[in-house]
Amino acid sequence: MRRSWASYRLLLLWQYQRNRAFLPMIVLIQTLLGVGIVYGFALLLPNIDPTTARYLATGAPTLGLIIMGLTVVPQEVSQAKLTGRYDYIASLPVPRLAPLAADVTFWLVAQLPGTVATLLVASLRFDIHLKVGLSVIPAIVLVALTGASVGYALASLVKPQLAQQITNFLSIGVLLFSPINFPATRLPDVLRAVHRVLPVQYMADVVRGSLTGDYTVSASLAFAVVAAWCAAGLALSYRVAVRRR
Amino acid sequence: MLLEIDHVTKRYRNGTVANDDITLHVDRGEVFGLLGPNGAGKTTLVSQILGLAAPTSGTITIDGVDVVRAPNVGRQECSYQPQSSAPVEGLRPREAVSLAGRLRGGARATVERRAHELLAAFELDEWNEMVTPLSGGVSRLVSFCMAAVVPGRIVILDEPTNDVDPLRRKMLWQQVRALADNGAAVLLVTHNVLEAERCVDRLAIVDHGRVVAQGTPASLKGEIGAALRLELVLEPGADPPASSPIGSPVIVGRRIFTEVALDQASDAVAWAKDLTDRGVVAEFFLGAASLEDVYVRRVRHEDALEVADAPVVG
Repeated sequence: MRRSWASYRLLLLWQYQRNRAFLPMIVLIQTLLGVGIVYGFALLLPNIDPTTARYLATGAPTLGLIIMGLTVVPQEVSQAKLTGRYDYIASLPVPRLAPLAADVTFWLVAQLPGTVATLLVASLRFDIHLKVGLSVIPAIVLVALTGASVGYALASLVKPQLAQQITNFLSIGVLLFSPINFPATRLPDVLRAVHRVLPVQYMADVVRGSLTGDYTVSASLAFAVVAAWCAAGLALSYRVAVRRR
Repeated sequence: MLLEIDHVTKRYRNGTVANDDITLHVDRGEVFGLLGPNGAGKTTLVSQILGLAAPTSGTITIDGVDVVRAPNVGRQECSYQPQSSAPVEGLRPREAVSLAGRLRGGARATVERRAHELLAAFELDEWNEMVTPLSGGVSRLVSFCMAAVVPGRIVILDEPTNDVDPLRRKMLWQQVRALADNGAAVLLVTHNVLEAERCVDRLAIVDHGRVVAQGTPASLKGEIGAALRLELVLEPGADPPASSPIGSPVIVGRRIFTEVALDQASDAVAWAKDLTDRGVVAEFFLGAASLEDVYVRRVRHEDALEVADAPVVG
């Protein structure tokens, strides 16, 4: 256990050292992305009622977390494959999921200032009063880890060029066809049925609930579904990580 | 033997056979060279030792432990310098070497001291605070230091001298020797036959996935049975002479190699001079036979047969 913790810390240090030159730019872009989602969607909707405003304000950080998992982490894996870092780390005596944990931690921390700024801007723009509970911590960690474990497994399995295409496609799907920034009732029946199984709406729900106190379904159900998907994603990532060519 | 590879075959799903019944053993304190052309299956074999790939059949053991069944043992016991350049973009050399050592379980103070010693041994001080990307040669040396800072009982070096300047290459061979002298089994994968000859204790030549020769440099050179080697460099566009009064020539591109017995030396020079005068050969060299001759002979054996069957030109 002590060795696993040390490996995780060192891989996190590696992530920081290799990205430190770009860190201010990364934080700035993440902030602009979050604020952009809030303002951009507001432009699409002429009349913003309180429900819509609540969805927009709390959907932005959820989208940021999911996009981090489904695009940033896989792109990191793809780049690591191209530079040889992926195979090099695989040859080291470190726990198989330590690189994923380090990647998620780094990008999550890099995203936090942007998330906070987005929430502040959203609450000012839509005049929303947020009730941030302690459950926000497990909510954010679960959502980030779930998305990232799926993204990590995906990028580990397919060639880098294909991984980029798939992650771009998934991002658009999540952005436009998922009940994150709007209620599921606005989706066609087929997509609503699909989203009953997929974790996306439950991810949005745990974040929204932990920020406002209002859950679409019950808090325990939303957390249970996301936790189950997270466990499945991690199991898949582990299986991919120990797979031998 | 510390590392025992027995009858290892690796066949990919598309039918490609990367390793074909490879058997070789490497012991503590030994530098073992794995020589062969691109695509011979050397890196695939290394991947299997490290547990990144699984053999289709055969066994790989480290100190008696089957690494095919327990791939973690391969990662634990082997430190590795990959063939690609150091995967350390954005890091300073000192940071990269220190990180590698600590990820291999070294204590911070020990790792930092050793990292400093290694980088100083290669006179890389001026790059110490520089953020990568570094030049190809410096990057290779940093990659070597990452493998050597906390060496495993087995150290695997894949083409460690690529892009390294001649002076530092000498320093590198000294460090490789030092690793073995300190008890590690060093598996050295390289194309650089001439340099390997000076550094390795034993070697295997691999071609098309098979071991085509194995032994000490002296025993392999003994196979040739000749003391000298004649090398002819053809003029661009010139056809090779189809018959040779000296030995059995092997053609590699524009170069022709042939073995020469000591008492044939003057005939060999006269033949080479004649070809030069007739504009067939641009230049020629006569020197002591080396491991490269064994390598060329073994790896290009099919080419040699073609030369023997070629029509006589003149």
